[in-house]
Amino acid sequence: MLVRLKGAVVYDPMHGIDGRRMDLFIRDGIMVPAPRRDTRIDHTYDVRDRIVMAGAIDIHTHIGGGKVNIARALLPEDHMPYAVQGSPILRAGSGHAVPTSFITGYRYAEMGYTACFEPAMLPANARHAHAEMADVPIVDTGAYALLGNDDFLLRLLAGKTGQKVINDYVAWIVNATHAHGVKVVNPGGISAFKFNQRDLDLDVRHEHYGVSPRRILKALARAVHELGICHPLHVHGCNLGVPGNAETTLKTIAAVEGLPLHLTHVQFHSYGREGDRGFSSAAARIAEAVNSNPNISIDVGQVMFGQTVTASGDTMLQYRGRRHAHPKKWVCMDIECDAGCGVVPFLYRDHNFVNALQWCVGLELFLQVRDPWRIFLTTDHPNGAPFTTYPRLIRLLMDRAFRAEMLDRIHPEARKSSILDSLDREYSLAEIAIMTRAAPARSLGLQTRGHLGRGAAADITVYEPNRNAERMFSKPALVFKDGVLVVRDGKVIQSTSGQVHATRPAYDRGIERVLKQYFDRYHTVSLGNFRIGSDELLGFGRSAISVHPCVPR
Amino acid sequence: MSDVTFELRRQPETWLDLSALTPDKLHGHTLTAIKAIRLRCGRRAGNVGDLFQVSGDDPLSLRFVDACRSFVRLGHGMTRGRIRVNGHAGHYLGQDMRGGQITVRGSAGNWLGAGMSGGSIEISGDAGDFIGAAVAGAMHGMTGGNIVVGGNAGKRAADRMRRGTILVLGDAGDFAGSRMIAGTLLILGLARTGVGYGMRRGTIVLGRMPAHVPVTFNDCGRLKMEFLRLLFKQTADSRKRFGYFREFGPEARRFAGDIAAGGQGEILVLLNASRRRSA
Ligand SMILES: [Zn+2]
Repeated sequence: MLVRLKGAVVYDPMHGIDGRRMDLFIRDGIMVPAPRRDTRIDHTYDVRDRIVMAGAIDIHTHIGGGKVNIARALLPEDHMPYAVQGSPILRAGSGHAVPTSFITGYRYAEMGYTACFEPAMLPANARHAHAEMADVPIVDTGAYALLGNDDFLLRLLAGKTGQKVINDYVAWIVNATHAHGVKVVNPGGISAFKFNQRDLDLDVRHEHYGVSPRRILKALARAVHELGICHPLHVHGCNLGVPGNAETTLKTIAAVEGLPLHLTHVQFHSYGREGDRGFSSAAARIAEAVNSNPNISIDVGQVMFGQTVTASGDTMLQYRGRRHAHPKKWVCMDIECDAGCGVVPFLYRDHNFVNALQWCVGLELFLQVRDPWRIFLTTDHPNGAPFTTYPRLIRLLMDRAFRAEMLDRIHPEARKSSILDSLDREYSLAEIAIMTRAAPARSLGLQTRGHLGRGAAADITVYEPNRNAERMFSKPALVFKDGVLVVRDGKVIQSTSGQVHATRPAYDRGIERVLKQYFDRYHTVSLGNFRIGSDELLGFGRSAISVHPCVPR
Repeated sequence: MSDVTFELRRQPETWLDLSALTPDKLHGHTLTAIKAIRLRCGRRAGNVGDLFQVSGDDPLSLRFVDACRSFVRLGHGMTRGRIRVNGHAGHYLGQDMRGGQITVRGSAGNWLGAGMSGGSIEISGDAGDFIGAAVAGAMHGMTGGNIVVGGNAGKRAADRMRRGTILVLGDAGDFAGSRMIAGTLLILGLARTGVGYGMRRGTIVLGRMPAHVPVTFNDCGRLKMEFLRLLFKQTADSRKRFGYFREFGPEARRFAGDIAAGGQGEILVLLNASRRRSA
C-alpha cells in the first residue's frame, strides 16, 4: 500500500530540510522516496500548507514502573475528576498528573508523540515496568535501567573490582531487563539514605561502602561508553533541588573527563545561593558549561505552574521535600535494596518565589544553551508538570511576547532576580523539530525514528499552522504511527501497539556465575526468574522488540 | 411549576452515574434538553430520556420516584435546589455537595455526603459505610452541612469529618467517628467497636453506653454540659418530629481522646436520653 502526503511543508532536521514544500510517500509503514510517475498511489492525504514533522520523542518521562503506580494509588483525587469514558476503540481511564497507562498513550499520541522513554526502571521492577508500558498504546516505549545504588554494584566498587567486571554487570543488567540505556539517580545517595546519611555530595563517602558518588558516576559512564550503548549515561545528579547545587552539577560535568553524559532535569540542578533568600538562578553558568562541553547533553525538566506529583527513585530528595507535600501526604520506600522510591504531590505556584524562580531557571536554560541538538524538551513528567503542558512550553520558547506576559504574572522578586526578560531568543520551528525529534532520536540511537528520510518508520505528525504555537502543538491535524493514521484533529481515532526499544551490549558470561551466587544468597528471586525473556516481553503486548546495535569502544 | 420527575423505565444492569442531574446543572434546561443529556452507565452511555420517563418543569426541584441501588453520585456537588428520592439512592449520594437539600424516603449506600461542605441530606432508612467521611485519598471528610439518618448507619461514619453535624437515630457500625478532625456526630442508638478511633477533636454524642469505649479514652466522669442543651434545642427546633430532643438532659459521661493519636476529642454518653424516639 502506497500513501502520499501531498504538499507538505516539511521540517526534517536530520536531512537539513527546513520548511521545504514536498510530497512524502509511505509504503507499508516505511518512508520511501518519490516513486516513478506511473506508480499507482493507493491513498493521498492533502496536507497542503500544513507543517509536517516526524513523530515526537520524549526522552525522559515517567510512564511506567512502581513509583507511577504508587503515585496513582496515593492520589485518587488526581483521578476522580478526570474520568474518561471508554469507547468501542478506546479504553476507559482517568488521571491528570499521573494518568492511567491507556490515557497516557492516547494523550501523547494526540500531541504528536510517537515514542516515550521511561528513565527510571529499577532492574528488580523491570518486569512490571515493561508490562505496564505495554499498556501504553500507540507510542513506542523504552526504558533506562537504574543502577548506582544497588548493593551488587556498590560492593564491586567497594572491593575495587576492575572496570571489566563492572562493564559485564552493566551489560548483563541491560540485557536481562531489556533496557535501552542506563541511568543513575543520586549516585550512591539513595543507598546512603538507608544508612542514615541525609545528603551526599559528589566527593563524600558512603558510610557503609566507602564509595563516593564521583566514583560511581565515573564507573558507570565508562561502562556505558565502553559497551557502546548509544545513549550516554543518563544522570540525575546529587543534591537535586538544593540551593547552591549548581557547583555540584559543574563538578559532575568535570568528573567524567570528557566521556559522554546526559544530565537530566537540569533545571532542578541549576540553583545558586545568592540573594536575600539564599536561592538564585545559576542557569547561565550551567548553560555555559553545556555550551563548552560537547560531550554533555541535557534535558530541562521545566516546571509549569499547577498541581502535579513528584515521583522519583531519589528517596533522599523526596524525604527532604516531604514538608512541601500538597496535598499533605507522601510515600518513601525501599525497593529490593536496588534503589528507592519517593512520591510527594506538589503544587507549583506562580506567586511562590521558589517555584517562580524554578520556572525561570528552566526557561533560562532553554534560551541559553545554544545547540538544540544537545538540549531536549521535558518537564520530567510528572515531576515538573504533566506532559500535557508541552504545547504551552513550546509556545513559551517560540513566542517572546507570550513569555513576557507570563513573566508579568509571577512572583515579582523572582522576576527581578531572573535575567529572563533580557533573553529575546525565540525558537524556530526547525529548532523545535530538532529538540523534540531529531536530537532525541540521535541521542538514543534510533536510526529509523525522528526523521522522514528513506527507510524511516512512518511516524509522522501533521500540524495546522497557527501563530499560537500552543494551539498548533496541542492539536495535530493528523498523526501517523508506523504508517497507520491514529489521530485526526487532535483525537485518537485508532489505537495501535508500539514497539519496545532495547539494546543488547555484549558481556562475558562469567559474570553470571558471580551473580548467581549473589542472587542465591541475597535476592528475593533467582537469577533465572530475574531475567525477562523476549517472548515474555512480547507477551505483555508490544508489537515488536526493536534492538539497536552497540559499538563497543 | 411542578417537580421534574424521573421514573426509571427499567433497572439499569450496572451502575448509573447521575452526577449530571443536579438542580444547578439542569437549571434553565427544557424537558427536551434534559432528556438529551448523556449519562454514564457502566461502560456505556445513554440518554436520560431512554433511561427515565421524565416530566415536570421546575428543574430546581427534582424527584426520583423509584430509585435503585445502581444509582451513583446522585446530587454530586450540588449547590442549591432540592432532590427528593423514593427508594434506594445508591452510593455517593450528595458527595461534595455544597448547598441545597436532599431527602430520601428509603435508604442510601456508602459514602453518603462524603466530603460535603454545605446543605442538608436526610434519609428515612439506613445508610451504608463512610457517611460524611473522606473518600479514599482525601485528607478530610465532610466540612459543613448536616446529615440525618433515620435508620442505622454503616461503618466508619464521620471518618475524618472536619465540620458539620451528623445525626444517626438508629445504631452505627464499627469505628464510628474514626479519625475525626472536628464536627459533631450524634448517635442515638448503639455504637459498636472502635468508636472515636484515632479522633483528634470533635464531639461524638451517644444515646446509649457502648459495650466498649476504647481504652485510649480517658474517663472524665459525669458532667453537666450546657452545650448539649443548645444542641438538643437546635435539633428539636429544626424539625417538628424531633421535638422529643427537648426532653434530653445535659448530663453526660465524658471520655476524652483518642490519646493514642494525641487527640483532644470527646465521646459524651448521655445519661438522660432513655426516652427513645417515637417511631
Ligand atoms: Zn525523571
